[in-house]
Amino acid sequence: MIEMTNDRMKTKHFILTIKDLVKSFNGNTVISDVNLSIPEGELSAIIGPNGAGKTTLFNLITGYHLPSRGTIYFEDKSIAGMQPFDIVRLGIARSFQITNIFPKLSVLENVVATVITHQKGNLNFVTPTTKLKSVYDRAYQILKDVGLADRPHRQSGTLAHGNQKILDIALALAMEPKLLLLDEPTAGMSPEERWRTVDLVQRLWEKLKITMLFIEHDMDIVFGISQKVRVLCYGTMLAEGTPKEISKNEKVIEAYLGEEVD
Amino acid sequence: MVGGVVILILFALPFFLAQFGKSGEFWIWVTTEMIIMALFATSLNLVLGYGGMVSFGHAAFFGVGAYTVALLMKKAGVNMVLALMAAPCMAALAAAVVGWFCVRLIGLYFAILTLAFGQLLYMIVFQWYTFTGGDDGIHGIPKPEFLGPVNYYLLCLIIFIVCFLLMRMIVNSSFGLSIRIIRENLDRAKFIGINVRRYQLVNFIVAGFFAGVAGGLFTELNRFAQTEFLHWSRSGDAIFACLVGGMYSFVGPTIGSSVLIFLHIFLQQIHQSLVEIWAIFLGLILLGVVLFAPEGLVGLYEKLTGKAKVD
Repeated sequence: MIEMTNDRMKTKHFILTIKDLVKSFNGNTVISDVNLSIPEGELSAIIGPNGAGKTTLFNLITGYHLPSRGTIYFEDKSIAGMQPFDIVRLGIARSFQITNIFPKLSVLENVVATVITHQKGNLNFVTPTTKLKSVYDRAYQILKDVGLADRPHRQSGTLAHGNQKILDIALALAMEPKLLLLDEPTAGMSPEERWRTVDLVQRLWEKLKITMLFIEHDMDIVFGISQKVRVLCYGTMLAEGTPKEISKNEKVIEAYLGEEVD
Repeated sequence: MVGGVVILILFALPFFLAQFGKSGEFWIWVTTEMIIMALFATSLNLVLGYGGMVSFGHAAFFGVGAYTVALLMKKAGVNMVLALMAAPCMAALAAAVVGWFCVRLIGLYFAILTLAFGQLLYMIVFQWYTFTGGDDGIHGIPKPEFLGPVNYYLLCLIIFIVCFLLMRMIVNSSFGLSIRIIRENLDRAKFIGINVRRYQLVNFIVAGFFAGVAGGLFTELNRFAQTEFLHWSRSGDAIFACLVGGMYSFVGPTIGSSVLIFLHIFLQQIHQSLVEIWAIFLGLILLGVVLFAPEGLVGLYEKLTGKAKVD
């Protein structure tokens, strides 16, 4: 696995390139001059203190917010200013910090709806969704991949919190993204759930060979699985490097990690 | 199965009622109105129940359909079939224009804007004497000889069944699923690649189309069109029908609408003065629904019979 990863790293083809990105809300600058390049195939983490602008950065990449200034390139295509539904169709999917699913629909319907959107488009007024067998097969496959296939007809809003977060990730996966952004995938989870999720993230990354970028607070997780760590602090990129480099970086220790790392 | 029996009864009903002379004819008229209003309420429910968007302007499309039939038949001498086909097209066109603005807003703002557009159309019809007859409306719309009360009932019933099945097909399609997931979580829908506004607009147009069918049929039933057809209170009636019947069920609006119209006529039959306090009855019914049966009569039925809800 490591060799393969190194192979992918060598080409240094950037899937996402952000230049001089600025975002202000009513004069409050949340993101100021962020530059960021994500090589294709990397599994990396973004860390930073609360209010550093991590989620805002994801919101800018996925089109939820419009950048105030700067450019975002996804595979050499400028995506700044595009709508979320267009960006996700290009291949950037995300999960959310606060669970974001369709709570009244069943677990299966959540994924089915997403698969239909991705594969077929939805301007079909005639065929009943229940007749779309290939869609159901694919949806079951995704549920199996993330380990939610045991009770597909359960109303998704009644799932345990951890499983709802995993369903959120499953929805992103159903879009077959090239770049997957995970906003605190383990937030609010119990320790076992956390490691199960981390394991899942790592497994998916190895299996699907996609680029993943996740926001995380738990340093054990960050240093445990990411190839690269990027530190965001007060809206600027403070540092970037391997987990080892980051844990020794003076600026990072001072600004963020404090005494937690030794 | 149950549906088949109900349809058989509905087809037999006018022949049975026709045995009772004048009062039978009156009840045929009432049931025809029920059928048309059920179609109207079901069309609104595409937006309200499935789309999760409260529209107070739906009567405008009913009215556009109604006036299309009235004007084409009375002023242009177009035959009934063509006029009835033009009605939903004009209504859909109106819905496209109104919807284009309204789907830019959500929640309360959407509701208010639909109300504003609906009342705008109402005022245009009200003021434009030379074209629409203003508050006199348009009377004496011709009706073909063979369309007596029984035959017109049957025509409406057949059109209702066709529209009902078409709308059910739409609700169960990929498009219908997208509309439901937009209702559930508008923001998330965007992130799985759904152009939310476009889908809401298409849904709004489809709903307007079927409201136009209902409006056209209603004009032909009464042989007149009047401004009240576009008034927001008619949108309100359809919203009440959806609430009472159950807006998360496809047949809910049909049931709610029929129950409310029947109750209204029933009270009228007991004593004319009871109709004047209809709003009080309606208020009590809504109170009961909101407190004890938030998913309407269909929801209540499912709860009492222990049937799992199939959405």
